[in-house]
Amino acid sequence: MNLKKEYDVIVIGAGPSGVSAAIKCSEKSLKVLIIDSNENSGGQIYRAPPKSYVKKKEKSLKENLIQIKFSEDLKKNNIDTAYNHTVWQVSPGYKIDAFSDKGTIQWKTKNLIVATGTYEKIIPFEGWTTPGVIGLAACTVMLKSHQTLPGEKIVLAGNGPLLILVAYYVLKFGGKIEAIIDTSKKSQWLKSIFSLILSPQNFIQGITWMLKIIFSRIPIYSNSIVAKVTNEKNGISVEIKNIENKKSKKISTEVLAVGHGLTPSTDITRLLRVDHVYNELKGGWIAKIDKYFRSSAKGLYITGDGSGISGAVAAHDKGKLAAYAILFDENIIDEKEFKKETVQVLRKLNRYEIFAKGIANLNSTPKELINNIDENTILCRCEDITKKEIIHAIKKGAKNLNQIKSWTRFGMGPCQGRTCQYSVARVAADELNCEVEELGYLTGRSPIRPFPLDKAIGDFDYDEITKVEAAPL
Amino acid sequence: MNLRISDYFERGKKVKVIVNETIVEAHEGECLSVVLFISNHKNLRLSPKKRENRGMFCLMGSCQECAVLLNGKKVTSCNIFIKAGMTVKTGDLNES
Repeated sequence: MNLKKEYDVIVIGAGPSGVSAAIKCSEKSLKVLIIDSNENSGGQIYRAPPKSYVKKKEKSLKENLIQIKFSEDLKKNNIDTAYNHTVWQVSPGYKIDAFSDKGTIQWKTKNLIVATGTYEKIIPFEGWTTPGVIGLAACTVMLKSHQTLPGEKIVLAGNGPLLILVAYYVLKFGGKIEAIIDTSKKSQWLKSIFSLILSPQNFIQGITWMLKIIFSRIPIYSNSIVAKVTNEKNGISVEIKNIENKKSKKISTEVLAVGHGLTPSTDITRLLRVDHVYNELKGGWIAKIDKYFRSSAKGLYITGDGSGISGAVAAHDKGKLAAYAILFDENIIDEKEFKKETVQVLRKLNRYEIFAKGIANLNSTPKELINNIDENTILCRCEDITKKEIIHAIKKGAKNLNQIKSWTRFGMGPCQGRTCQYSVARVAADELNCEVEELGYLTGRSPIRPFPLDKAIGDFDYDEITKVEAAPL
Repeated sequence: MNLRISDYFERGKKVKVIVNETIVEAHEGECLSVVLFISNHKNLRLSPKKRENRGMFCLMGSCQECAVLLNGKKVTSCNIFIKAGMTVKTGDLNES
């Protein structure tokens, strides 16, 4: 595909929200580019299998069919796609810098839609860096996209809707679950089903999943957390602890998949220095937006779960609203059309939000998980920084996340704080006896992804280098 | 137990890759992180200070924990797809 240098609209992230926004803009003849680091559309939720996998005719997965439709719709609407492109910098104006196997590229646009979704929040515990301990989201990707069970014996732990989703898929694919360790109480299970489906039509499906898990007779430890993981012969040992009665138990397994909800990706919005607000129930820090997903900067729109967690179905509608906002702001549609087109979508979204609020406590992180972190436990995996080192920095005078970063190097490694920012903030807030939001967030710095120098240089022949005449002696 | 689910998709042809001087069988186009994880190569790199084993963690290009040396170059293995004859090294990635 021959890509242009400049577009009317550029969308970063080809998940449900990005795709729906791109299509809506394109329907009104705007020239749209959609960028994604994966090799296809779908985002993480509908992530396509690797290109080499050929779909069998007789059987298909629902998620896969949705992804195929995304690709078809993008093509039908003549939307340019830049898959396998990792965005490493975005600057005002808007200039988007990305790299791929072919080298670097820069695009320009007046209207930028950031639809970069979320990361998984995983609260540290002793031994969480042990190989074999993976995220629940990683486990989902492994099952749904790569069509692979992570191991012969699997323990699932954490809270939020992914716990049930992963359990269902492991069983559906013929895997064996040793135990499910649920942070929430048993009574919260039904609520968690709701959070997953977010629409009453899918309620039956939710119940089917639940029944499959219940009938499989997997031991479910409610109100419990992973206290510790240690290596043992042929696998790992997971020590679980009941939050109330403090009873503990050890389970041997090959793999532990653990996750504590999702947190919105703010890499790009922090880089662009727009306003952010803190909302624990929506996943933490999010860019400040109006109800049409306009950020505090002109021409910058934030949509999907990256604008606050509310799930894939809502993400689709959020994308539509962001697109209508662009069409109105660019004078392509008048106020009358804008109001007419958005009123229904807004109403639908409001219904989701009311529903989402009711179950949002499942995405919040209980204090017990934070209290369980031992002082020698690593918080920042990239730089090997323990809780003790974070607390030491605070005792010596560090008062916010950026100061703790300067002091300890937390958040300076290849992940740029994506994995640890939330936990470090919670630990620091406890130590300083303040609210998490008072600690601020890590200032965005480029590159937002490790940027290999050979990619910067690109592929070229010796003859292509411009040779400069040597300076006269 | 076959960990590869074959109900919905046909995988690429079988190929061999070399991991730390041993041969690992995989299918062309499979994700390198996933192949290493299920073929008993969970320890991928050493952490910078404590020199502890680390392995695949997020599988979506965020955490950067799944770094390995692929044909001598440091890469995150979660966005690498298997090709015949690849040479992978795990462990101490800074040792040449």
